[in-house]
Amino acid sequence: MASFLEVKNISKAFDGVQALEDVSMAINAGAIHCLVGENGSGKSTLIKIIGGVLKPDKGEIRIDGKLFRPGRAIDSIRRGIQIIYQDLSLFPNLTAAENISLNQLIEKGNKFISEKNVIKTSEKALMEIEEECDLFAKVENLSMSKRQIVAISRALTQNARLIIMDEPTSAITKAEIDHLFSVIMRLQAKGIATLFVSHKLGEVFEIAENVTILRDGRKIGDYAAGELDNDKLTFLMTGQKIVSTPYVRDPENLADANLLEVKNLSRKGHYRNITFAIKRGDILGITGLIGSGRTELALSLFGLNRPDSGEIVLEGRSVEINSAEEAIKLGVGYLPEDRLLQGLFVEKSIGSNIVVTIVAKLLNRLKLISGAKRQRVEYDWIDKLKIKTPSAALPASSLSGGNQQRVVLAKWLATNLKLFVLDGPTIGIDIASKSNIHDIIRDFAGEGVGIILISDEIPEVLQHCNRALVMREGRIAAAIEDITRVSESDIFDMATAQNVDQVR
Amino acid sequence: MIEKVRRGKSEELTLVIITVGAVAAMSLFLPDKFLTLTNFQSMASQFPEYGLLALGIMLTMITGGIDLSVVSIANLSGVAGAMVLASHTKALALGLSPATIIFLAILAALAVGAICGFINGFVITAVGVPAIIATLGTNGLFMGVAIILTEGHGIRGFPEEFLFIGSGTILHLPMPLIIFVLVASMVALMLRKSSQGFKMYMLGSSPLAARFSGINNNKVLIKTYLLSGLLAGIAAIIIISRVNSMRPGYGYAYLLLGVLIAILGGTNPDGGRGGVLGLSMAIVILQVLQSGLNILSFSPFLKKFIWGLILILVMVITYFQTYTWSGRRLIQNSLKTGAS
Amino acid sequence: MIAKLLRRNETYLFFVIMAFSLVVTMINPTFLTVENMFDLVKSSSGMAILAVGFFVGLLAGGIDISFPAIAIAGQYIAVNTLIALGVDNLLLAFVLSCAVGTAMGAINAFFISAFRMPALIVTLGTSNIFHGALLVFVGTRAINTGQLPDCFKAFGHMHVLTLTRADGTTYGLSVFAVVLLGIIVVTWFLLKHTLLGKSIYAVGGSYESSKRAGFSINRTLFFVYSYIGFLSGIMGVMHLSLIRYSNPNYIVDTELLKVIAAVVIGGSKITGGSGTLVGTLLGVVMMVILEKNLVLIGLSSYWHQFFTGLIIVLGVSITHYQSKLQSKKSLSFAD
Repeated sequence: MASFLEVKNISKAFDGVQALEDVSMAINAGAIHCLVGENGSGKSTLIKIIGGVLKPDKGEIRIDGKLFRPGRAIDSIRRGIQIIYQDLSLFPNLTAAENISLNQLIEKGNKFISEKNVIKTSEKALMEIEEECDLFAKVENLSMSKRQIVAISRALTQNARLIIMDEPTSAITKAEIDHLFSVIMRLQAKGIATLFVSHKLGEVFEIAENVTILRDGRKIGDYAAGELDNDKLTFLMTGQKIVSTPYVRDPENLADANLLEVKNLSRKGHYRNITFAIKRGDILGITGLIGSGRTELALSLFGLNRPDSGEIVLEGRSVEINSAEEAIKLGVGYLPEDRLLQGLFVEKSIGSNIVVTIVAKLLNRLKLISGAKRQRVEYDWIDKLKIKTPSAALPASSLSGGNQQRVVLAKWLATNLKLFVLDGPTIGIDIASKSNIHDIIRDFAGEGVGIILISDEIPEVLQHCNRALVMREGRIAAAIEDITRVSESDIFDMATAQNVDQVR
Repeated sequence: MIEKVRRGKSEELTLVIITVGAVAAMSLFLPDKFLTLTNFQSMASQFPEYGLLALGIMLTMITGGIDLSVVSIANLSGVAGAMVLASHTKALALGLSPATIIFLAILAALAVGAICGFINGFVITAVGVPAIIATLGTNGLFMGVAIILTEGHGIRGFPEEFLFIGSGTILHLPMPLIIFVLVASMVALMLRKSSQGFKMYMLGSSPLAARFSGINNNKVLIKTYLLSGLLAGIAAIIIISRVNSMRPGYGYAYLLLGVLIAILGGTNPDGGRGGVLGLSMAIVILQVLQSGLNILSFSPFLKKFIWGLILILVMVITYFQTYTWSGRRLIQNSLKTGAS
Repeated sequence: MIAKLLRRNETYLFFVIMAFSLVVTMINPTFLTVENMFDLVKSSSGMAILAVGFFVGLLAGGIDISFPAIAIAGQYIAVNTLIALGVDNLLLAFVLSCAVGTAMGAINAFFISAFRMPALIVTLGTSNIFHGALLVFVGTRAINTGQLPDCFKAFGHMHVLTLTRADGTTYGLSVFAVVLLGIIVVTWFLLKHTLLGKSIYAVGGSYESSKRAGFSINRTLFFVYSYIGFLSGIMGVMHLSLIRYSNPNYIVDTELLKVIAAVVIGGSKITGGSGTLVGTLLGVVMMVILEKNLVLIGLSSYWHQFFTGLIIVLGVSITHYQSKLQSKKSLSFAD
């Protein structure tokens, strides 16, 4: 079969850093193709080049065998290439119908629009994928999965022949994923190709035919989906065989009493009847899909999402945590999922980022911040966590992802933590830094901090936790007391199974 | 990213150069009029009013907000103080000493300023209204109260002793200048060395990260707006003493001047950056310019025109600085990591 | 349909206005008469036009506070030109005033779009530039009724509908109503039925998405601020015809606050992208009724500014408190 899209020997560098080097890939008409690689492997750069947003330094793109040189995004759209970014690029304040049809109207250069026309266009697009949607509802009031349908329909109004979807399954439930797949199949039947872009293994493998793997800007290879399994894919993506040294809690030196007990904690629409306990030195993994309630639960422990009912007991005392300030006072820390937005003050100095949680402890008798004390704390933590920087005065934005995350860790570890909740601590971080961060987490657990490690990546949970919870649709689907006795696919099934009864 | 640190320094250096240049130019071209004690004294008693208001605007801008109500707060505080002062003949009859009355007047002005600032902070934090529109509304509200209280008339007839605050000198130094220097130093100390100051910068740089770092954003913001109101209250005391009366609507042009000074002084309206040193230099530049325009007897309208022009100019220059240094880097970095 | 209506801000505002009018009419029976209504339309159509302009700016996500300065500049330049040329032509006055307004709006647009500066700070600067320039380069002398070309006076008196009172004297609906109606219809059509209108909503709703969708954002912003300037130009001429006096020093922020208050209680979000023209007009009606009747409730005119400020604060508080609760529920932490 002839390829719809071919990219050949593409290279691209930013500021001397090679983001892509000599990458080639071909997508057949109507194919379902998967592009995988870790964060920073160059997948985003590649799809931006295909989408006409970036220009390659070297190499060529061919559509239907003919050379194609996009100058702007619109050039690619005109040739049938549509990118649906993770944020979907919709207008929350406009109706579904307007969102579906606007791009086409811009493209056509219509000056005037009639509502009738807008509705007709949208209905036609929805019909093509046999979907329904309240066309008059504002997009901000639609569910995530409906918004995806809107974005796909929008792509169809512009005669898409290839739809590129960036991490489409990370924010929707299993049932919705299945639904999305049926839509993709319908697209395939019409000869429209789909390219999934992902940084992890997952559901997309169910329907993908071919997989292209990138690592550090280079292509590792093209594979048929059938010939890959989890271990093999992980190895290809990371280039490292994972050596499993599971984390074991040391019962000799650590008190046996429960550090934290959560009893029947519920919050409407977020999670229900959550009960678990952790001891000093535990690393409790929590995994599950986005929307399974794991982040919501974590925020409740950190005082930013007040539960409706249930009890949190910390060191035997029932506590109410109503703000992050109170959480810190109780010795609870939270490393948020979004490092750049929630974790770091990107423009501020590394030093300020480290001491932000403990300014109160740096005050002298006049209630003023003592410069000497501050400097000591800053450099102590820079040394301790091996943050690579010539000066604490440089802005956090000057650091690499791994070093930035170590700054966020330092900020929390400086506070005399008892319980540390980490939400996706290694997202977007290179392999070397990843293992270093895991070591830091293990060290602190060893010193008696109770740790909750929330992660998308099941292997991460398997390797670095001694216990785990699997959450699904707001509930604990499984509680695993001995992590060495389960496998990755066990956990994957628990996280995505349809009914909640198969709890182990 | 080292460029960014350097940029902070170069910004201040630019200000120093402009300041020195402005003073030098004035001294060179108008030595007999500019370089006189009277002129310096008159300059030094003019700027503290709007300088204090600019301080308030700067503080709120550091936290990523803005306070458009400072002039109205100053008016309302002034009215409150003036009402106490104007009753001095009655109060004297009741046996109160002039000192007590003046003390009460100052207290009234400061209290009203603080209350107004608290109202701003409350609307912004508890209700979640963007500062820009919240303070635009309270701007009308506070001025409205001032008009209601005075029915649009001026209040006059203050005790003699009170006028010392606005017109007196100590060792040739005008009192308003002394007050300004004291207050500005305290604000500088607060910003650089106190926990509130540290939190203000962090919050302004990223309110979300601040929240996730256990900073009580609402508390910090309420304190900030309260402080801004208090500074307007202090400005009000100087104003009523210098003018020797109070009429609502005074200093309408100070809002533009205050915003202009804050931005010229290197405050970032998006939050996270700014300081008293830069602000002070901006004040000197503008006051020298103002004095020059006065000596050359430019019309107040031309001054208005020039202030507006400078504001836009400063913003354009800041834009180019941001985009040629850190901005471009930031964009490239985010492209590299695929985060954009 | 009814359920949908009940969810809308405008419905509530409408009922508040009805209730308020009812109360006022009970105290003062002459309030709800055709003649008084005609009067209100005439005296407040200028404000309504400004509100429409401010509303369009808000939709695109910007707060433009330069319109009072633009209106006075357009007005004063137009009337002076007419006097200097010795021409007595209303059309020319409108053309001049609108040209000045549009040009000033375009200047705003340039700084706002090219340098991505906050509209409020830009327009704070430009309004001083415009007003200062007007006074320095054009003049400071007020034009009084005697000097005013007749076309303005005639325009101010022109009726499109004349009714007769019981005693035989006549009153009528001012031509201002037609101008206002025209502007409303044009703006409505623009927002509802043109791509440009949708692009205004789009830019205010999501800047990033607009860019990706291929909207020319700069062109949209250029239009928005020029349109505000254009409307201010029209208002300038109308205002002159109403009060028959042009004082270039007269530029008051009470007018500004009233307009903002009207748009804000009309339900437009100050952060852009959301709001309706109907809501804006209802907001104007609310402000006008309130203003005209404060005296009736026993409050002197000194209370105007207080109430205007109060309405802004309450109006934005209601809209933003709702979205604050929403963001708490969805954990979006949008600050």
